[in-house]
Amino acid sequence: MPRRITLGACLASGAVLLPLLAPAPRAQAPDAAAGRITGHIKLTTRVHAPLPANAYPSRSIGKHEAPQIPEIRNVVVYLKDPPFRGALPVSRVELHQQNETFVPHVLAITRGSTVDFPNDDPFFHNVFSLSSAATFNLGRYPRGQSRPAKFAKAGLVKVFCDIHSHMSASILVLDHPYFTIPGADGNYEIQNVPAGQYTIVGWHERVGERSASVRVEAGRATTIDMTVPVEDLP
Amino acid sequence: MTASSTSAQPPRLLVKTLAVIFVTVALLLGAVFVVVTVSVRDQVRQSVAASLESGQRIFGAVESRRQRELQVQAATLAENPTLKATIDTFAAEARTSSDSQRTQWLTTIGNELDKVAARVDADAFVLADTHQITLAAAGRLGDRWPRGRPIALAGGTAGDVGVVRAGGMLFRVVSVPLQLADVPIGTLYLATSLDQRYAEELATLANARSAIVSDGLLVASTLATGAAREFEATAESRQQDGTVTLEGQAYSFRRLVQVGNTSFYALGSIDESSRSATRTAVRNLAAIAAGAAALALIASFWLARMLTGPVGRLSASLANASRSHDVRVRLPLTGSSRELDALTETFNALMASVATAEEQTQAAYTGSIRALATALDARDPYTAGHSERVSVLSVAIGRALNLPADEIEVIRLGALLHDIGKIGVPDEVLLKPGALTEAEFHIIKQHPGAGARILRSVPFLVPHIPIVELHHERPDGRGYPHGLRGDEIPMPARIVHVADAYDAITSKRAYRGARPAGEALREIWRFAGTEFHAEVVGALATALPGVTTDTGELVVGQMHA
Repeated sequence: MPRRITLGACLASGAVLLPLLAPAPRAQAPDAAAGRITGHIKLTTRVHAPLPANAYPSRSIGKHEAPQIPEIRNVVVYLKDPPFRGALPVSRVELHQQNETFVPHVLAITRGSTVDFPNDDPFFHNVFSLSSAATFNLGRYPRGQSRPAKFAKAGLVKVFCDIHSHMSASILVLDHPYFTIPGADGNYEIQNVPAGQYTIVGWHERVGERSASVRVEAGRATTIDMTVPVEDLP
Repeated sequence: MTASSTSAQPPRLLVKTLAVIFVTVALLLGAVFVVVTVSVRDQVRQSVAASLESGQRIFGAVESRRQRELQVQAATLAENPTLKATIDTFAAEARTSSDSQRTQWLTTIGNELDKVAARVDADAFVLADTHQITLAAAGRLGDRWPRGRPIALAGGTAGDVGVVRAGGMLFRVVSVPLQLADVPIGTLYLATSLDQRYAEELATLANARSAIVSDGLLVASTLATGAAREFEATAESRQQDGTVTLEGQAYSFRRLVQVGNTSFYALGSIDESSRSATRTAVRNLAAIAAGAAALALIASFWLARMLTGPVGRLSASLANASRSHDVRVRLPLTGSSRELDALTETFNALMASVATAEEQTQAAYTGSIRALATALDARDPYTAGHSERVSVLSVAIGRALNLPADEIEVIRLGALLHDIGKIGVPDEVLLKPGALTEAEFHIIKQHPGAGARILRSVPFLVPHIPIVELHHERPDGRGYPHGLRGDEIPMPARIVHVADAYDAITSKRAYRGARPAGEALREIWRFAGTEFHAEVVGALATALPGVTTDTGELVVGQMHA
């Protein structure tokens, strides 16, 4: 029987790994005419009894050693199509390949940013994408090497490894800097948001966008909590 | 007895024995045939059921192995990184992409699936998204799976085995989920078409007819059309196993596998299988019957011969005895059975007593006749003892001629009676001392015929008639009463003729004295060939010394020796 649990509350053990995760860029100087949005993302998930007889377990090795990333860290909170003028801040972040897993699983970056894909595993990996936002294939390379990819187009980029078919990651490339990934406790904060009326979105790769309206006033913090229902699909 | 009663006589013992044995053998064989046929049918029913059961096991094993292999292959295919990446990326972009982009994506997915399908032998490869909506299909029967439509799996869940109806066809499918780190992103189905080819394969594996029924409807079958339709209609097809009659033929059936509402059946025709088995049994029975018949024939012949042989010999001996009027015959014991020997003994005892009675009767007759002959001899003092002497002499001659014993016995009595006819000759003629007139001699010549007539009235004296009647015939034909010649005169009559003459010559007569033996013999020798038969005269010469004393007198006492 399926049961309802709150992932954010029970996966605190993953917090140790948090320093590894690339934080959303927040290097911008505070703007007097801007406010900020804070809130809590409640991730609900319907966990099914063990997946239907897959007689053959996934080919992942050392699965138990894979970093346990809280599911809440796979959520991106961002403003939907806000007007943004000026130079888009770019960053350079790493998306590791560890224990046959892309770490982190979800990344949000501004358009023009570069992602490095270092291979931490003692065997070859490959990174490729078929997404229309960025189609690339970094080829196969061994431990210790890293290859970069620059994302010049906004959109969702799904990244895979053609050696390990169970590996995948999502990179959300955005045209603006108003986004963040909530902390392990589900709390988030988006700073320097110009005052105005926005649509705020909680995104998860298996749910898509959950949106709400938010009014940001200068110099004030607006709090909005959201619930993202991630359901295991049959 | 008439001819018709001859044809209605009872059958021979041999025929009866044969008939009884054959009827017994036939009845036995008939009973055995019925029992064997019934038991063969029964055994065949069981063996067909057993064969279906083993077919079921084999099919079950092969099928589950095949499904497992397909599943392994499906699982391997499901780990194809490009396929997964394609599906996952398509799913991620589906919300935002345009129709033409979607079409492009689906084409890409189809291409990837085609590449994958080329490596595995299945009728159809179907890729569905997480909502089990068909995204792409490949393989021989891939075009039967409409895109964008949900797949309804009966009798199984994803990752398992089931039956799917698609494009008017029924498919047996194995399915595996496509996963990215345990998160399902789609399902891959490998489908096997449940068509006639599958039914034939099933039939080969189960070594029987096969039928695939889904939702009460026949999907495919190796049965004849009519039988298949009947099977579809019968309620028995809802059961696990049993027997069913299709087009008048008994079938044993068994459900091999049931998946959802679809059942796979193996059917074996009992009648068809029992026919060949019965044929074998009948052939064996026929061989046994032939052997039994041959044995019965031999046995009945042996038995019949054992029974009829001694009876036949007995009856032959009896017939022989009755034909020869020989009551002294003693039948041999056959030794074949106690009853038959007892019968023979009784018969022999009976015949012995009859023979004794006969002998006594004969002796009484003979005694009376001898008395008659003696009385006759006594009419004439000169001929006293004549008949006795002629008898003795005739027997001696007969012995000298090596005649058989029974003929000699005839001669003995015949000689004694040879002049019995003289009883009708008046004394004045018989005792006349002088020469006879022609009329008187004519009377004398009547005596052999008169004697024969007398003897004819006594049955057991019939053999002696020729002696009495013909003892005055001469080889030159000048004898009486018939004037027979040479060989026409029987041997006993010839002998008595010679002995009569010899005794007449050596006896005293009213008109002359007795003449000595040597003279008499010479006298007779003179007429050998004319009045007497030469070989008989020779025999007389041989025989005389044995029956006369030194003085030439006949030894009459040998009469009863």
